[in-house]
This record gives sequence, C-alpha cells and structure tokens, in this order.
Amino acid sequence: MGVTLVIIFKSIIIGALVGFGVGAGAARMFHAPNVQGMGAFRTFGELNACEGDPISHFSFGLGFLFNAWASVVGAGALTQDVDHRIIPNWAAASLLWRNRDVTQTLHNPKKMAIAGAFVGVVVVTLLNSTASSVPASMQNVATQVLVPAANWLINPIMPIVFWIAAMDAGRRTGIWSTVLGGIGHLIMGNAVPGIVLGILIGKGVDDSGWNRITKTLVVAVAILYLLSGFFRGFDVAFLHSIQVEIPQWLIDLHKLFGSEVK
Amino acid sequence: MTDQSLKNRGFWFSEWAFPVFVATLCSGIFAGTHMYFVYHVGAFNDIAIVAMLEAGIKGGSYGAAAAFGASFLFARVLEGPLVGILDIGGALQTGIGIGVPAMLLGAGITAPLENFTLSLLVGALLGLLIGVVIIMIRRYTVAGSTSTFGADVMMGAGNAAGRYLGPLIVITAIMASIPVGIGATVGAAFFYAYKKPIAGGAIIGAMIMGAIFPILLK
Repeated sequence: MGVTLVIIFKSIIIGALVGFGVGAGAARMFHAPNVQGMGAFRTFGELNACEGDPISHFSFGLGFLFNAWASVVGAGALTQDVDHRIIPNWAAASLLWRNRDVTQTLHNPKKMAIAGAFVGVVVVTLLNSTASSVPASMQNVATQVLVPAANWLINPIMPIVFWIAAMDAGRRTGIWSTVLGGIGHLIMGNAVPGIVLGILIGKGVDDSGWNRITKTLVVAVAILYLLSGFFRGFDVAFLHSIQVEIPQWLIDLHKLFGSEVK
Repeated sequence: MTDQSLKNRGFWFSEWAFPVFVATLCSGIFAGTHMYFVYHVGAFNDIAIVAMLEAGIKGGSYGAAAAFGASFLFARVLEGPLVGILDIGGALQTGIGIGVPAMLLGAGITAPLENFTLSLLVGALLGLLIGVVIIMIRRYTVAGSTSTFGADVMMGAGNAAGRYLGPLIVITAIMASIPVGIGATVGAAFFYAYKKPIAGGAIIGAMIMGAIFPILLK
C-alpha cells in the first residue's frame, strides 16, 4: 500500500504542474503568433474542431483516456495524448460547461491554466495509481511483447517512413535528408534525427531561401554531426575500417575528453 | 487571432510568462520520467519512444533515445518561436522527458531521476532555459518568417510511423507465444471494430492471455 500512496502523492504534484503549463500554453495558442503559445498544431486544430461544445470536448478527451490507460497499464507510458488531447480538451469542457463563450474561457490563459491544473491532478493520478496496481507478471508480458516491437519501429520502420516522406516533399528536401540521414545512421545509429534535420533545412530553404536562419541551421547541424561523431568515436572507427593508422594526436585528443582509443 | 490590447493584458499574455509555463510543464514531465524510472509508470510519452529509454535502462545503449530526443528538442525549439506554437510532444515530452534523461543516464548520472525533488528542480530549470531561449530567438529573428520548416512533413511522417506500431505488436506477440499471439490478434481486431488504435487492444489482449498462460523464459 505504501508505494501506491507515494505514487498518488507524486502524481498529484506532477499532474498539477503539467496541467497548469498545458492549459496556459493551449489558451495562448489562440493568440499566436503575437503571443508565444505551447501545444501542437493538431491540438489547436482539434480544439477548434469541437467548436466550443463542452460535450464534444469531453468525449474527445475520453476516447484518448482509454487509450492512455491501456498504454500506461501495459508499458508505463502515459502517451503524448495526456498533454496534447486529454488535459486541454477536458479543461476546455469544464470551463465551457458554465460559459459557452470561447473568448472568455478557452482563449483565456489564466482560466485554462487553473482548470488544466485540476484536470491534470485527476487524470495523472487516476492513470498512474490504477496502472501501478496491475500485477508485475502482467506487465512483464507487455514488456516482452513491446520492447521488440518498439525496436523494430525505431529501426528500420521510422527511418524508412521519414525518408520516404522527405523524398516526397521535393527534390531539395529529399537530397538533404538522404545525405544527413545516411551519415546520421552511420554516426548516431539512427537516420531519423538526420532526416528531420534534412527536412528542416530543405523546407526552410524552399520557403524562405538562404537567409540568416537557414545558414545558421546548416552550421549548427555541421557542428552537431562533428561533435557527436567525435564523442561516439566514429572518427577512430572510420580510420580503422579503411586500415589507416590512428595518429597519436587523435588518440591524445580523445584521452583529453576521457575516452580510451583501442 | 487578432488582439489589439495585448500589451495591456498583463502577466498571462506577457512574453516573460512563457518561460514560467514551460518550466512548470517541464518540471512535471521530467518528474514523470522519474516515476517511470522508479515505479515503471507515468512517463509522458508514447510507448514506442518510452521503449527507447527502456532499452537503455535494461542494459542496452542510451544512444538512440538520446539522439532521437536531442534532435527533436533542437528542431522544435527552433521551430517554436518561428510559428508561434512550441510543440509539447517533440520539444518537451520527447526532448526533455526522454532525450535529456537518456543523456544523463548514459553519462552515469542517476540522481536527478532517482530523487523526486531533484527531478522537479532539474525539469523546471531546463524548462526555464528553453522558454528563455525561445523568447530570445523570437526577439532576434524576423518574427514574420513564413516558413514552417517542413513541420507538416515531419508530423505526417510521425503519425504514419506510429500507425506501424499496432501490427508490429501483434507480430511480436505471436513470436512470444501462441496464446499471447491469439490474445493480441483478438484484442487488436476488437479495438479496430470499435475505432480505437489497435496497439492498445493488442497489448491488453496479450496481457490477459499472458497472465493465464505465462510466457516461458528461455
């Protein structure tokens, strides 16, 4: 019983903090780009789609609550939907119940933050406390099934899906993503980060040309690749694979940062 | 979308309130990862992404989770101020909730994830930092930039990749044992019939059958 009480206590604090931020961020989205908002484009679209009807907002959130419950019971993961869908929609529903005017409720960061904090406490505590009471043997089954499935998803499914999406998004994006993705898979072990950066650069240049932002982006990406290549020992592994002697200064440089070159 | 009197609306609409909101949210998200690390519940992310961290905790490499999380954090923090909406899923839930913990654990630093109070503090500090960075980027770049930097392409790919998880879970369940495989298949079909994501049904089905007929460990 002791552990469950601790989980409930911590979940109340976490739920309040998360709900407060999500609520305020969601309301501020309606005033973007003049005010910096926080949420997601899909959250924004879905909140609009419910058209200020409290029952629509409530049932939309409820649908994702069941999914989040299955996920947290199985794998301990609350899903991104808790922050993206359940909290904002239920906070909106609770406010719209008494006042149907969205400009005074859903679009008001103060009211949404406070409502979000209450909803967050209820949702996070409910999900975490019921999930922790599921026997460990059942959770083990889920882990045994989920971990290999997730590993496949990470590699190769996600790289392939992102890669194809990048190639379908235009020639420039396709080229940048293919190059950065391929090198990314070599250096970091997964192509997705590289492909995402390729999409950022390709689409950024497509939309606004080579300006200060896109140039800074390319420099930042180059630095990111060089640093992660160095710290993951890619330079040494590469020289090994083409049968080149590792120069002493490189070994010393690696030693300086605390990594041993074999 | 238009506000004439934004300057007069005080704290809740102000620029410097933004880091405060990011800080509270990050504090909760980071503490959620602490919950997962200690009690195996409560991580604020999807199964596929949490599983990357789990792979590291179970003795594998934290590299995938760290690289994945860091790249999302980087891309979303850059995109956030340009489009006016910071993406919670990519920047905070994946970046702060998975990427940063994976980097810390990979470096052998466990204290922020083992201690609840420390996790709240570390999360809040990281959030404050991100909020300030975003406000700074907003100030120093052209606020009127029209590019979304392919956010639509990435979101489309992200959603498409997520759809693969359901069938993958059914396949791995079938590979685990016959009863678990049957459970996952029936669960997935049931959830599909009721228009729910089939990954959830597959897991529940696998768990029920796995509880009755435990998977034999080799």
